[in-house]
Formats: sequence, C-alpha cells, structure tokens
Amino acid sequence: METGRETAIRDNDLSRRGPTPAAIARRYRASQRLKAVAGLIGLCLLLWILTPHFLTVANALNVMEQTSINAIVAVGMTFVIISGGIDLSVGSLVALSGVVLASALKSGWPIPLALAAGLGVGAATGLLNGVVIAFGRLPPFIMTLGMMSVARGAALLVTDGRPISGFDAGFRSIATGRVFGVPAPIVLTLAIYAVAHFVLSRTRFGRYVYGIGGNEEATRLSGVNVRFHKTMVYVVSGVTSAIAAVLLTARLNTAQPIAGIMYELDAIAAVVIGGTSLSGGEGNLGGTLIGALTMGVLRNGLNLLGVSSFLQQLVIGMVIIVAVLVDVLVKEKRA
Amino acid sequence: MMMKIRRTQRPQRPQRKVFSEACARVALVIKRRKISFAVLAAFAFFVVGCNRGGDTTTSTAKPRVALVLKTLNSPFFNDMQRGAQAAATRLNVDLVVQAAEREIDVERQMQIIENVLQTGVKALCLTPSGSREVVPAVVKANRANIPVVIVDTRLDKAAADEAGAKIVSFIGSDNYEGGRIAAKFIVDISRATNGKANVAVLEGIPGHETGDSRLRGFKDGIKDTPGVRIVASQPANWERDQGFNVFQNTLQAHPEIDTLFACNDMMALGAIEAIRAAGKTGSIRVVGFDAVEDARKAIKDGTMLGSVAQFPDEMGRLAVENAVHAIKGEPVEADAKVRIELITKENVK
Repeated sequence: METGRETAIRDNDLSRRGPTPAAIARRYRASQRLKAVAGLIGLCLLLWILTPHFLTVANALNVMEQTSINAIVAVGMTFVIISGGIDLSVGSLVALSGVVLASALKSGWPIPLALAAGLGVGAATGLLNGVVIAFGRLPPFIMTLGMMSVARGAALLVTDGRPISGFDAGFRSIATGRVFGVPAPIVLTLAIYAVAHFVLSRTRFGRYVYGIGGNEEATRLSGVNVRFHKTMVYVVSGVTSAIAAVLLTARLNTAQPIAGIMYELDAIAAVVIGGTSLSGGEGNLGGTLIGALTMGVLRNGLNLLGVSSFLQQLVIGMVIIVAVLVDVLVKEKRA
Repeated sequence: MMMKIRRTQRPQRPQRKVFSEACARVALVIKRRKISFAVLAAFAFFVVGCNRGGDTTTSTAKPRVALVLKTLNSPFFNDMQRGAQAAATRLNVDLVVQAAEREIDVERQMQIIENVLQTGVKALCLTPSGSREVVPAVVKANRANIPVVIVDTRLDKAAADEAGAKIVSFIGSDNYEGGRIAAKFIVDISRATNGKANVAVLEGIPGHETGDSRLRGFKDGIKDTPGVRIVASQPANWERDQGFNVFQNTLQAHPEIDTLFACNDMMALGAIEAIRAAGKTGSIRVVGFDAVEDARKAIKDGTMLGSVAQFPDEMGRLAVENAVHAIKGEPVEADAKVRIELITKENVK
C-alpha cells in the first residue's frame, strides 16, 4: 500500500530505491492545500451569507489578529507533528515564557533583554523536552505531558499565582502597533510563517524533519544525525510558544500563570485541519495557517451569529472531526 | 550546516506520464470537491439550524445590547442571564449573550468582546474574567463609542486609568461586605459555644478581585476575635472538584479544623463531599458564598450552615436597564450596589 510517509521519504531523496515520483507527493500536497482552502473559503461564504458583519475590513483584521497567537504556536506544533512527535507542553510554555518575560520587564530590564529572557526560557524548555525525547527515548507524549505540568507549576511558582501586569507602551506596541495600517500581530505571524516555511521546505533541517517523521530508521541509516535534529524540532516548538507568549502578554498587558490552558489542543487542531498527518512525515505550514484561520473564522462567525457558547464548542469539535475524517477517506481512496 | 540550502532534484519524466498524471489530478480534485461540498452543505444546515434554535438573533430595529459573561456553566451567571433577558424583553431590547467556555480564559473573552463589537451593538455589558486583562477590550469599545457597563467584577482601577478605559456604570454586590457578613456569622456561632473556631479557607483563583475582596472582608471580620483563627487557606480555583481535593488534603494536614469558609458555593459543595468521605459530616461548619440552588439544598439538609447570597438576576436586570439609559443618553448610576444577605436555615427558600 502506498502511504504518504513513503512518498515523503522518496521525495526527500533519502531513499534511492527506484525512480522518485516526487510528483505524487507534490500532487498530494497541492490537493491537501486545496481541500483546506476550499473549506475555509466555503466557511467564509457561508458566514457572509448569514451575517452582514462578517465580511468587513475591520472584522477580517480582527479575525487575523485573534488567530495570530494560535497560528504561531501551531508553527512549532507542525514541525513536531511532521517529525512524528507531539508537544503537549506548548500551552504551559506560553504561560512560563510570558511570566518570565513579564518579571524581567517589571524589574526594569530593557525590552530586548527581557524578550531574550522570555524566548530563552522557551528555547531551554524545548531543548529539555527534545533531549529527553531524542536521547532518553521517552515517548514525546509522556515527556511533554510531564513538561506541561512542570512548566505550569514553574509559572505559578515564579508569580506566586498572581498575574503580572502593566507594561509600557513601547512593549505593548508589539500587539497594538500597526505596520502600514496592518496590525502588528498579523505582520509578525506572516513573517514567522515565511521564515518557518523556508526552513521546512528549503533547508536540509526541514528535509530531515520530514525524513524522521516518515521513517526514522531509514533516515538514521542514511547518515542523518536523527537525535540532534529531533531535539531541534522541540526547540523550534519552544521558541514559537515563547513568541506567542510575547504577543499574548503585550495584547492583554498582563502575563498570567494560568494563561494558555488548552492551547496545545487548539494548535493540534489547526495542524490537523491543515492536512498534516498525526503519524508524521507529511504536511506543510500553508495548511496549518489555513487550519488556524479556519478555527479563528469559525469562532468569530459563531460569535457574530450570537450562537450559544455551548453550541459553539459542539460545532468546533465537529468541524475538527469532519475535516480529519475527510482527510482519511481521501487517503484511503487514493491508496 | 543544517541550514544549508539545497534544491530538490526532480527527475525528467516522459511526456505521456505527465498527461496521465494530469488526468489523475483532475479526477482527484473533482472527487475531493464533492466531498468538501457535501461537508460544507451539512455544516451550513447545521449552523442555520443552530441559529434558529438560538435565542439571540432577531433582526428587527430593536437596539442590540451585548452581555458578555465569564462563563455560562455556572448557576450564578445563568441567573444573571435570566434577569438580563427578562429586562431586555420588557425594555424591547435585542440581547446577545456570549461567554467563553472556561471562566479563566481571559484571552477568549477578549476575542468575544472584539467580535460582538463588530455586530453593531449599541451597548456592552461585561463581567470581566480578569480585572486588568480586559481593559484593552474596553478601550476598543470606547473608541467605537459603545457605552460599557461592568457587572460583578470591577476593572482594576490603575490599569483602567492608565489605558484611559471609561465605563458608564458598575453593578455589583459588595464582596468585601459579604466576606465580613460571613465572618460575623462564624464569630457569633463560636461565641454561642466556646468562643473558638479553627477555620479553613478555600480561596478563588488567585488575583481575582472578587475572591480577594471576600477574603479581605472575611479576615477583617474575624480580626478582633482571637479565638477564631485561620489555620489553612488554599486556592481551589472556584471549582467543585478542586474544592473536594483541596479540602480533603487540608483535612489530612489539619484534623483540628472545625469551620470552613469557601469563597464560593461550588468549592464549598465540593468540600462537603470531602467532609462526608472523611466521616466528619456535622462536625465541620461550612459557610459558602453565592447561595446557589445546590447550596440552598445543602442548607436545608443541614450539611451547610449558611451562604452569603448575591442576587445575580438583579445584577443582570440593572445591567440591561443601565445600558438602555446610556444608549438614550440619560444619566446612569455610576456605582450601583446590589443587595447582599446571609442565607441560613431560618430564611432559606
């Protein structure tokens, strides 16, 4: 049976058996994107019909701004999931990086230094995740589940359970500023996606991430330092969580130790709606961005329609299930 | 090394293969679309169905008022919603009620506020999930010239002043006073016996204005009675299951506890189960806050001694009334206090 993993491997030139039908993988990815885009456009059309408030410039910017935090967390999650892993600690990492950043700002550190501290904590925690997973051979689910609690506890300890708030306008402009009329969070998100997409699709590291997720053993046998690259994947996830924390802290003008609860599930949802397979080896960031936007548009639309909040959860859950179900059915047909 | 750029090599393919691949691709796309459209159609029907079922989308010329609550899975906010809805019907207002899934999800509440501001609401009533965090959203409403009525939890004064956030009215009960009332009740009971009480406290989410005020009121209320002292004080984050666990642990550490003050009824009710599990029912006095329905039942049963009642339905009513005053440009009471009272076996309904 032809599976996405094998095609991904061959596309990566990691296995040289026979001719490389890179086109199959490319065609598959293109169709994946098409499906996700079609879903998003369909959703937008639907909302445009149902409410006059949906398709306005103000609301479009609004949705993108709200989506930015989940979208950024989902970047790291995409790397991790393509590599065949999972990172459940991102929500807690958002909280921990946020409170470290906030404490640094509050104790009078200059903004660049405080940002470095926040991002450093994210990277270091990600590194710890990666090292234990890659070298200690702990399943990613277990390690990051543990880290989810460790990082949350650390965030609560650092702050004594209390939110830290009140930063100067210079820092807040990360969330409130505008670049040529476009809210800064949107610009930041797009920039991160551009860089991450380049890394994932055009660098050796990116190729190895697909390789590790597709067939770790084959990747190792072809001379790739699997452990090192696997570790780096979790560092990427830690850093993107920390960037999201910067944005969240600036947006709320507060860092809360209880922030980011369930962010891991939102990020995973964005990744899988975007067509990335939880079994690893396939997927792309374009899909993840669309997945995150789909979640954002859905929440926004349900708010605009005034649908009860209980029904909102039900609808969002169903959309996730249906999106992935369609994915699976399509793959079966193809095989 | 790892960032070195490399182009993917593609082998040349014969012409015929390209053609067949193109055909396959088209076929694939067509198949896929059918599925997507079927999914979308199903979703469309579902949403339209939901929408009809909802109680909030009458599109008439009535002024639209938004009520953004902390959550809807709490009897307190359900009562508030009911009171607001009744007032809205009476005053001919189109009321939109929205809330985040979880009470502590401030970011989500902020998104909801931003979203409802897009729907042409004429006024916003809000129970802030975080007294500092929602300030930027209030500023957004100010910019759109939408009057804001804050209900139940005050905005943090420093944060609001600094951001220039303006509200037309605050409606709430005096939580500090409520804490004092609970303290006085416990002091009076202990006087009737030996004048002593070893009190455990279950706190709300740390940093929440509501819980902090209740606790401050309570502490001030027992200050002058040396026999009544707090032996343990732990947060259980407003939740029933956490109330159970935290109090079970507290009882392990402090078997001398004979009185519990919980900053809301949910935690108190959880703790009552923990007391039952420990076989100490009747030997620990429990005082809660909010007097929700389950707590009233527990007071009737005698498992709970008292609960400080707030009147969320009145808060909801006043919120909508004040919002309507603000829309009409009429004067609005800037600080409206809703009555508060202690419910015990004598006056429970």
